[in-house]
Amino acid sequence: MDLYIPVVVLGVLAFGFAAFSVVMGSLTGPKRWNRAKLDAYECGIEPTPQPVGGGRFPVKYYLTAMLFIVFDIEIIFLYPWAVAFDQFRGLFGLIEMALFIVTVLVAYAYVWRRGGLEWD
Amino acid sequence: MTAQEIVFLLLGVVTVGSAVLVVTTRRLVHAALWLVVSFGALAGSYLVLTAEFVAWAQVLIYVGAVVVLLLFGVMLTEAPIGRSDALDSGNRWAALAIATATAGVLVTVVVRGFKDAYLPPRPGGGTAGVIGSSVFRGWVLPLEVLSLLLLATLVGAIVLSRTDVVREPSDDHDDHDDHGDPADHGDHDGQGRGDA
Amino acid sequence: MNSVSVLAAPEIHAPPVEFSQLAPMLIVFGAAIVGVLAEAFVARPARYAVQFPLALVGLAAAFCWTLWLGFSEKPQHAAADGAVAVDGPTLFIQGTILVLAMLSLLLIAERAQDAFTAQAAALPGSEAEQESMADGGIQTEIFPLTLFAVGGMMLFPAANDLLTMFVGLEVMSLPLYLLCGLARRRRLLSQEAAVKYFLLGAFSSAFFLYGTALLYGYAGSVRLSAISAALSRSGGSETLLLAGVALLSVGLLFKIGAVPFHPWKPDVYQGAPTPITALMASCTVVAAVGAALRVFYVAFETLRWDWRPMMWGVAILTMMVGAIVAITQTDIKRMLAYSSIAHGGFLLTGIVATSESGLSATLFYLAAYGFTTVGAFAIVTMVRDTTGEAGHLGRWAGLGRRSPVIAGIFAFFLLAFAGIPLTSGFTGKFAVFQAAADGGAVPLVIVGVLSSAIAAFFYVRVIVVMFFSEPEPDAPSVVTTATTATAVALGLTATVVLGVLPQPMLDLAGQAATQLFVR
Repeated sequence: MDLYIPVVVLGVLAFGFAAFSVVMGSLTGPKRWNRAKLDAYECGIEPTPQPVGGGRFPVKYYLTAMLFIVFDIEIIFLYPWAVAFDQFRGLFGLIEMALFIVTVLVAYAYVWRRGGLEWD
Repeated sequence: MTAQEIVFLLLGVVTVGSAVLVVTTRRLVHAALWLVVSFGALAGSYLVLTAEFVAWAQVLIYVGAVVVLLLFGVMLTEAPIGRSDALDSGNRWAALAIATATAGVLVTVVVRGFKDAYLPPRPGGGTAGVIGSSVFRGWVLPLEVLSLLLLATLVGAIVLSRTDVVREPSDDHDDHDDHGDPADHGDHDGQGRGDA
Repeated sequence: MNSVSVLAAPEIHAPPVEFSQLAPMLIVFGAAIVGVLAEAFVARPARYAVQFPLALVGLAAAFCWTLWLGFSEKPQHAAADGAVAVDGPTLFIQGTILVLAMLSLLLIAERAQDAFTAQAAALPGSEAEQESMADGGIQTEIFPLTLFAVGGMMLFPAANDLLTMFVGLEVMSLPLYLLCGLARRRRLLSQEAAVKYFLLGAFSSAFFLYGTALLYGYAGSVRLSAISAALSRSGGSETLLLAGVALLSVGLLFKIGAVPFHPWKPDVYQGAPTPITALMASCTVVAAVGAALRVFYVAFETLRWDWRPMMWGVAILTMMVGAIVAITQTDIKRMLAYSSIAHGGFLLTGIVATSESGLSATLFYLAAYGFTTVGAFAIVTMVRDTTGEAGHLGRWAGLGRRSPVIAGIFAFFLLAFAGIPLTSGFTGKFAVFQAAADGGAVPLVIVGVLSSAIAAFFYVRVIVVMFFSEPEPDAPSVVTTATTATAVALGLTATVVLGVLPQPMLDLAGQAATQLFVR
């Protein structure tokens, strides 16, 4: 458990800093609202792209999130494998994880060829 | 009561409390954000029980990815972002009764099932190393099949979200998300929207 | 496995993987992966021509290998580190699933042009949808997705521990959720079906997992044989055990579609593209019943006095509700869905029997019912009017006068569902009821016969509508194509042969059952 005390301390510090910034900003800053300020913030340009079907977001965000989640899960399985790697005897560990990664890589190839990686 | 048990109890209260807020809040986006709190506190509970790997998997996948997906999902729809009474279902009392009953049964089962059995948490009992040597010892085939599940998931995501209609390059509908397949047609350089 | 023993033996060696015994599954999964690669790298117009043969060859090769495994008299045992049990019942069930999947694939391939949407991502009613329809393309991902589902169906009943079973369950279900939403016509209905199936399916998976967790708490292992061993030691917490069994049963019974976990079935069967409905009504039911057989015969056999009353109740409810509610249906696919629910009840009586004869009877019933179901849904895809399939029962009026052969075959399938002698349905029901009666479940058999009689009423009603009423002027016509006709012919042949000459198949099921399950 001692391992996590620095993490907890860091978390408390981060939380304190965030709370402090928000509270102080709202206490000390001037409050002049206009239309531009209430608009969605996107690096100073017009919020794009506009959805096609009348929804709020274009569906491509969903695809990005799905890609993220799938590769996230793949990574999760890589951690225990990496930590246990020196216990493997022979090529078994390598082959098994290669098989796992190649399968998910097939998905990657498919997404790439389908234009899932292009934004527009 | 040890410090560990107190922390665990507090985290449990946070988990249950934010879970209740998920289903009672009138703002859809807030529900998703309360879910973050609930998942995060759950990860903390895992950590207290020395299930470190599960805790970090919970943070990475549920707090990090699933909630993002949920938020995107909310924003894909016409769901109201602000406070909305439409989020209340007429069935909520029935749902409450069923949820309470289910929770009652499950809690009773666990309480009666384990009675006063007590297993002190073993530091280092749930690290990535321990999980790794267990997974790669007895669960090789299920792991490989899981990769197929991930593959099928992505295929499904593409099927549901990418349109794949072949269009002539001159056809100028740049508001449509339609030129999915680079295998089938030429360039689209003219159509790219200027990035900031 | 606890961490102490892990730390004491730090080396991980390659587990023995019996590739030969796993080959049928590996072939199907391999074909699915090649299919995804083909989606990625084959030009769009050529994809269909690649995918259909690929899927068919993959399933056929897997089936041949299963046959070879079945007849090669090798001692069977749990493969892949004990995760998968390749034994007689497994091989029988996998073989059945593969054949039925091939038949369904014929329907999927044939009706790809007009059962499946050209573009799942196009909004219903939008301009993009019009264009994709006019374009004439199809969503060829249905083939690899079907193969994934079939691979999951093969793993589900073969899994030797609850975790592998859960993985199989998900691999089987996820592609099906998706395929349900890809109908070409009435797309909103189809998408609603997909969402319903997905939400309820995810819910039932959660039940399955929770049950697994409680059983792990009871036995300290998720392996079926270890749970069985823990039961015979009769220590541990009874509460955890019973709650675990109950929750696990909910997950399994949901997939079978037993009452009261059935409400998804009519909606999903109606909304899904009919070829997919055929796949679900045949293969998924076979896989789910196979998994239930393994769980209740291997893990909980010594506990049977505890779960039998529950199973009795569910079986009785399933048979009665399925048969009675089917009477009120006016849509042909919903009616077949309720009929499928009722048949789930008959299959449960085979599980209740918990004997070798019960096992072999259930196996035979699964095969017989699967063929008839695929054949019946194949005919549903053939009867069409300008808006697609003629779903409403009223539209089938007078079909017997316009297309006597098709109507006759459909009538035969319905009689097989009803269990009229000289059809496979009769043999199957007889075998299952006999096993249940031998197992002391006589009241269950009486309810089964009663509900068969009720069911016969609405089957006969459809036959009467087809043959003894006047066709409407714009009545649907029958569109016959080569592959659909093949599927119908094979389903018909199996129904006739298993009805008239059931002995070889009964012997095969009996032989598969004599091995019982490996542990």
